[in-house]
Amino acid sequence: MSPDDILRIDGLTKIFFGFRALDGLSLHVSRGEILGLVGPNGSGKTTCINVVSGLYAPEDGSIRFDGAEVAGLAQHKLVHRGINRTFQVPKPFMQLSARENVEVAIAYGGARQGEVDAAALLGSLNLDAVANRPAAELNSAQQKMLDLARALATKPKLLLVDELAAGLNPAELDWVAAKLKEFARSGMSIIVVEHLMGFIEQVTDRVVVMNAGKEIFGGTLGEAVQDKQVVEVFLGGGHAH
Amino acid sequence: MPRYAKHILFIVAPLVAAFAILPFAYNNQLLLFNFVLFLTLAQGVNVIYGFTGYLPFGYVGFFGAGAYGFSLLILHLHAPPLAAMGGAAVAALAIALLLTPLLRLSGAYFSIANLAAALALMQFISNPNLEAITRGPYGVSMTGVFNPRLAYTMALIVMAGAMLVAVWLRNSRFGLALQAVREDPVSAAQAGVDVPRARAYAWLISAVIAGLAGGVFAWYVTVFYPENVFSSDYSIFAVVFALFGGVSTILGPIVGVLILYGVYNFIGFSTPQYFQLIYGALIMALVLFLPQGLISLVKRRGIDVP
Amino acid sequence: MLTYSLLAGLLFGLYFSLVGLGLNLVFGVMRIVNLAHGDFLMLGAYCAFWLYTLFGVDPVFAIPVAFVLFGLVGLPLYYLLVPRLLAARDPEMLSIILFFGLSQVIEALATIAFGTSEQSIPGGDLGRALREGWGRLTGHEIESGPVEIFGQSFPSAWIISGVASLIAVALVYLYLYRTRTGYLTRAVMSRRDEALATGIDVNRVSAIAFGIGIALAAVGGVFAPFMLGSITPAMGVDSTVVSFAVIVMGSLGNPLGTVLGGLVYGVSYMLVQSYLSSWANLLPYLLLIAILLVRPSGLLGKRVRLA
Repeated sequence: MSPDDILRIDGLTKIFFGFRALDGLSLHVSRGEILGLVGPNGSGKTTCINVVSGLYAPEDGSIRFDGAEVAGLAQHKLVHRGINRTFQVPKPFMQLSARENVEVAIAYGGARQGEVDAAALLGSLNLDAVANRPAAELNSAQQKMLDLARALATKPKLLLVDELAAGLNPAELDWVAAKLKEFARSGMSIIVVEHLMGFIEQVTDRVVVMNAGKEIFGGTLGEAVQDKQVVEVFLGGGHAH
Repeated sequence: MPRYAKHILFIVAPLVAAFAILPFAYNNQLLLFNFVLFLTLAQGVNVIYGFTGYLPFGYVGFFGAGAYGFSLLILHLHAPPLAAMGGAAVAALAIALLLTPLLRLSGAYFSIANLAAALALMQFISNPNLEAITRGPYGVSMTGVFNPRLAYTMALIVMAGAMLVAVWLRNSRFGLALQAVREDPVSAAQAGVDVPRARAYAWLISAVIAGLAGGVFAWYVTVFYPENVFSSDYSIFAVVFALFGGVSTILGPIVGVLILYGVYNFIGFSTPQYFQLIYGALIMALVLFLPQGLISLVKRRGIDVP
Repeated sequence: MLTYSLLAGLLFGLYFSLVGLGLNLVFGVMRIVNLAHGDFLMLGAYCAFWLYTLFGVDPVFAIPVAFVLFGLVGLPLYYLLVPRLLAARDPEMLSIILFFGLSQVIEALATIAFGTSEQSIPGGDLGRALREGWGRLTGHEIESGPVEIFGQSFPSAWIISGVASLIAVALVYLYLYRTRTGYLTRAVMSRRDEALATGIDVNRVSAIAFGIGIALAAVGGVFAPFMLGSITPAMGVDSTVVSFAVIVMGSLGNPLGTVLGGLVYGVSYMLVQSYLSSWANLLPYLLLIAILLVRPSGLLGKRVRLA
């Protein structure tokens, strides 16, 4: 493992009722890098995020994070080590206020006392106006930002972003893309799962194309669209962007 | 003044003081004792249901365990009542630890399994084969420790403890974490909360509260049968009172007990089936029209309720 | 004694499947817990009792009466309670409290109407009209006495209850797998939200399932005087707990898993009765907890229900 790699996945396999959602997946992410994970529906992108974040334990394979093996650790332990994520459909703590949502993560997420300020974090994601409202009253874009705030409150070294762009308008997209790049410049590594290729092109340094639980291509998005296998998979899967 | 200090000063202290003074002004001591008991149990249900979302339909199991934990120490070891209260807590804690795996179950499965556990415990304790140990179905008699005034004082202390737990949960990181777990366990884990452990702590705390209430009940009455201390009425009453006021607040369960239990005793039914009828209809109306409790009427106006 | 216990266990098992069937149907379709299930069983038992006592009606004929009567009670009850309940936060938990309230109301009304004393119907009178009819038609009178199977004799009422339960289960199977409404019912069971999105009239399907669930409880009640001994207004709670034990063992939300649950429960119940009778009361509860913990999805279940 190169010392620059924060995450290295080898031969990762996850089986649901006989279906190999991940079939020996291998990939790596460097420090401060934004990696795009693309592929047709059901290719295993979200499963990859779910396994790396500890929602499911893998059947086989290794996940080395920051120099240690972390495959199969519980979610909250991975959070403490520095892996966090957002959800495709965010489920904030509906009855708690936006501020309390973030405070839980500040208190339990493993950040040092005083390292994260709830008000500043909410402000940086344009949530200061709704800080004292219950999460249930936030609109869906705000709930996505709150989900991101919850993840950031734990000071992650690796952030897994699952379909953050879906449902945002173009201005919000540009703004989110700038945010992610800003995080990366400060040293955070990010994996972005996304259907919007424009967004992938805008934020990622490199992409891994997945199909049937495996990597079929690694390189820049520009190279990917030239690749015969990638084009075939995407046309076959009906995603010709 | 910090929030928790306000809550203690303006909610817990007046409540405890009122029930400390009332016996001198009002002669139905048993009724006062029952009020204290239900305030304790409703707050105990609040800890587990209000803060974690687990509905303990067999909550009385801990109450009964506490009553027997207390009694067995008195009967077999001739322990002083104060030490026997420790036995009540330990018995409830032991049962709760034994039942911790139930927390793996969700929703109705948990409630049903919890109910079954309470019924099983009663069947076990009242089995005639265990007469030498538990007195089986023939009940417990400990007239030697009969001391209603001291028992009442102990009940007040237990109630104050339960109230302080609620104040703590309402004002602490841990209470916030529990509510996060209740709202969404996956997101809570992703906020760094150790979900199974947080739930287990709330479960054990809630069990000890009921166990102490059971112990103090055994002390107060000194003579009882298994079906008295394992009566599902305790679970139901405690749940309904807490729900009526509004859970996950300090004030909700208190308001619920004072109003509902007060009304029952004020009306006073001579025939139990009419009581049961009105009680049942009230529960249904509560769930259909006020599922978040009385407190929600105030909260709806944007007022934060402690 | 072992043969006897096993055979009696199977007969009771079939009956217990009937007892739990309606509860499971309601949970499967609506994800709510009808804690008043046992009270509808109790009402079904009184329905048979009064038809027998007042008009001398053979309890066998009380079956269709109870089914139709309580089916018709169930439909409006659904619209009165369930849609409002499902709109609340956490309906599964609240349903337990709501139907506990209903159970209290029913028990209280039954106590006011019928009193607290225990009632029963002589076992030989179950199916008497059928036997006499058969006798008149063929000239061969069937005796009402015990029936011999494998050298063990059982009350004829047990056999009739067992067979009737089997028929009821078969009819529910046919309803779910051979009718259009049944097909829609299964769709709602597997994905309620998607069923709503595809334009299925979820309320209508649920209301029918609710009516059938309550009607089945009442039919189970018709046999209660013969299988559970005497009947009282307070018998509902125990019946509900037994129903739970049965359906959790089978598989919660899968009505046909109920049969397996019923048989396992019936056989173990009879075995404990025969060999460990003083601990028999403990059995349903321990079995329920053990199965929930060891195999949370029930013996036949696939659905995960861990928190």
